[in-house]
Amino acid sequence: MKPRALTRAATITIAWIVLATIGSELSAEFNGLLATIGAHDWIGKSIVSIIFFGLFYFIFAKAANDDFSLKDTWQLLLTTVFGGLIILIFYVMHA
Amino acid sequence: MVNPLILLHAFLAEIGLFAFLWIVVELLNPTESRIQRAQIAAVVGVCGLYLAWLFGGFYYVEVYGLHIKPLISASDAKWTHSIVMEVKEHVFLFLPILGTVILAFLLKFDSQLIENKDARVSVILMAGMVFLLGFALAGMGALISSGYRVALQAGQI
Repeated sequence: MKPRALTRAATITIAWIVLATIGSELSAEFNGLLATIGAHDWIGKSIVSIIFFGLFYFIFAKAANDDFSLKDTWQLLLTTVFGGLIILIFYVMHA
Repeated sequence: MVNPLILLHAFLAEIGLFAFLWIVVELLNPTESRIQRAQIAAVVGVCGLYLAWLFGGFYYVEVYGLHIKPLISASDAKWTHSIVMEVKEHVFLFLPILGTVILAFLLKFDSQLIENKDARVSVILMAGMVFLLGFALAGMGALISSGYRVALQAGQI
């Protein structure tokens, strides 16, 4: 198990969740696409998140350099915090 | 009558949250036995989050979406769905991902967490984030329940 690949995969996946959240509200086609994956757009986002997490981990794990540092964790945490804030601000403005 | 699925969802999520708080406490001054307990807590926490995801998701699609959301959206408390529930259902998706990373770190680094400060601080920060985010989401759940009560009371007038 490669820690750096894991944190990077998590960072990208959380960023994807934020983009998919906004995208599904703004695009009926994208919303419909997610709904075809899991019978409901939220289930589609859930399934794709898990798949992306695994996929991105395997992609990043192929990299030779897996020197984990605290910087990788900060990137993940900042993505989480800003991602949450972006979602909140979007729905406050979109409501 | 409260739907048992929502009780299960809340119960499992709370178990998950406090398991990650437990990890933070165990790693503040780690020893081999404390790391082992943190690993057990991580397994419990990840199981709690994934099961909360499953039961909450089923409830959201089959019960909330069909019966509760329409009432809330037609009431003065519609913001509890359009803002609070929408934020909650999407930010929740971050937690199982973070939980999985935390569990993997604990298993990978194991007793190295005593000496490897970067890894230890990483686990503490991530676990703390899961606890705080989850706590916020639990509060949102309470707000949504209040919105439903407002909608029901409005319907009775």
